[in-house]
Amino acid sequence: MKRSGVIWSWFWMILGILYFFLPLVATFIFSLKAKLGVLSILAYQQLFNDNDFIKGFSFSVLWGILTIIVGILIFVTTAYWVRLRLPQARTAVEFVTLLPFVVPAIVFVFGLVRTFSHPPFLIVDSPALLVAGYTVLSMPYMYRAIDTGLRSIDVRTLTEAAQSLGAGWGTILFRVILPNIRVAILSGAFLSFAIVMGEYILAQYLAKPAFAPFLAFLIQQKAYEPAAATVVSFALTWACMGIINLFGRGRGQAPIAGGH
Amino acid sequence: MIHLTLSNISKEYGSTTVVQDFNLEVEKGEFVSFLGPSGCGKTTTLRMVAGFEIPTTGMITIDGQDITKNAPNQRNVGMIFQAYALFPNMTVAQNIGFGLQIRRESKSVIKQRVEEMLALIRLEQHADKYPFQLSGGQQQRVALARALANQPQVLLLDEPLSALDAKIRVQLRAEIRAIQRKTGITAIFVTHDQEEALSISDRVVVMYEGKMEQVGTPFEIYNFPQTAFVANFVGTLNTAAAEVTDPSKGLISIDGIQIESAEDLKDKQNGDKVNIAIRPERFSFASDGKKANVMDCRIENITFLGSVVRIRVSIGDTKFNMDTFNNPFLELPKIGDTSQVTCSREAVLVLKN
Repeated sequence: MKRSGVIWSWFWMILGILYFFLPLVATFIFSLKAKLGVLSILAYQQLFNDNDFIKGFSFSVLWGILTIIVGILIFVTTAYWVRLRLPQARTAVEFVTLLPFVVPAIVFVFGLVRTFSHPPFLIVDSPALLVAGYTVLSMPYMYRAIDTGLRSIDVRTLTEAAQSLGAGWGTILFRVILPNIRVAILSGAFLSFAIVMGEYILAQYLAKPAFAPFLAFLIQQKAYEPAAATVVSFALTWACMGIINLFGRGRGQAPIAGGH
Repeated sequence: MIHLTLSNISKEYGSTTVVQDFNLEVEKGEFVSFLGPSGCGKTTTLRMVAGFEIPTTGMITIDGQDITKNAPNQRNVGMIFQAYALFPNMTVAQNIGFGLQIRRESKSVIKQRVEEMLALIRLEQHADKYPFQLSGGQQQRVALARALANQPQVLLLDEPLSALDAKIRVQLRAEIRAIQRKTGITAIFVTHDQEEALSISDRVVVMYEGKMEQVGTPFEIYNFPQTAFVANFVGTLNTAAAEVTDPSKGLISIDGIQIESAEDLKDKQNGDKVNIAIRPERFSFASDGKKANVMDCRIENITFLGSVVRIRVSIGDTKFNMDTFNNPFLELPKIGDTSQVTCSREAVLVLKN
């Protein structure tokens, strides 16, 4: 590579790092200034002593995990079946998975509220509706991550090999397919989790005590705690990425056997 | 003893017929190859035996039991794929033991059987490796061991050597055959490589456009092709249009040049058009002292192929290839020379269509 090319590469990389990290560093430093004149973790202590934070945070974590489980069950089976038996339906399914990008979240929420707020579907207060909503919102990320994972293995041949050895659908899915796309599933799960943690409209309009509405409320009320909460949510995000990396380094990832 | 039977099998996808009226009886322990070009229906037929495709008509039985509509996991049929299809998340030993685990065999049985299979394929030291740590040939041997571990009634091999390089392919096909003989398992082998089919099989089924063209031993298929397709597909062959001139004596004319065939032409009339075939190695120069079927020719081209020298000659307006073994003292004619070639009566095959 030419010397000028190397210099430009470094320039853009440093610019990118500054762009992404400066606000975070500034937020972090600001979160440590709750006590006048000294750096302290007071804002964090106050945040973790706040029952609403614990409640909102644990609520979002719980529903995030449920969303991931539901998403995996629905999207892995769908993407797997489309790849295996209905390749002609792939374009249509991909279009459907992109709908959450097209339909604004607020329209989606009002649709949910209108549809499920009177008999025979009176479930507007049920947490199941929230999970269903989150699942739909995370669909583009989850489906695509899983579909990309499935593309990296020879789904059909692996399925047929397992069938010829006597395996049924459950065994094939849980012992052959899922372990071989676990990194893709983790990526989708992480994105779903991030969406649930940051999702405001759905939780707000369905009146659920989630993390994002709490954070919005906190910003209006206090100065340092919202910064601390932001740093905490970033730390959580990075922890998720670390977990993905950890699992991603696992065994048998080379797409040789049964691969395209 | 008949082990596997395919009766009147056909397979249609919409208006397209992929396999048509396929009938075959395979004996226990027999090694049968389906040979044909891409799209001839050989893999579809194999997949119907495996249960991945259901025949449109016909019946498949193993040991007299109808398995036509059984699910693939209910058939006890082992399958080996071109792409190896080892489970990337499992070690070699886990791959081999997978089918036994599905059958809920005890851990000790699985361990013992896996060790037996590893010894059979001579990969004992690779038991704990993952598929991506093995070469293509080793992966395919593991796939073979995995398929055999379940002790299937029939072993199906779908172009298992196609993804390997030439040297490994020859080695592994000998190994597959040796293991098949040792285990005595009935095997169906799909390939488009005629050399592979001829070298490994007890019988070869040559397929073309969904139909069986000819079934026979490799010797029969090579030496006595019954159709123009088989003649052309298996080995190198000269084919030519000819006319029957005296059916009682087996006389045929190519571009006015009379030759004699040993084939029975009693059902032919004088003037009937036929296609004849002569293998290149059945020709020799007439100076070798042979008298029958001596034909004037002109040398068109000479190609050195290593152990064989291929000489292209024109007899009348028709061009033929003649193969002769290479030796350092071979006196070859020059391009443009005229000479005489000959072949025996038995070498002149009259094709059925």
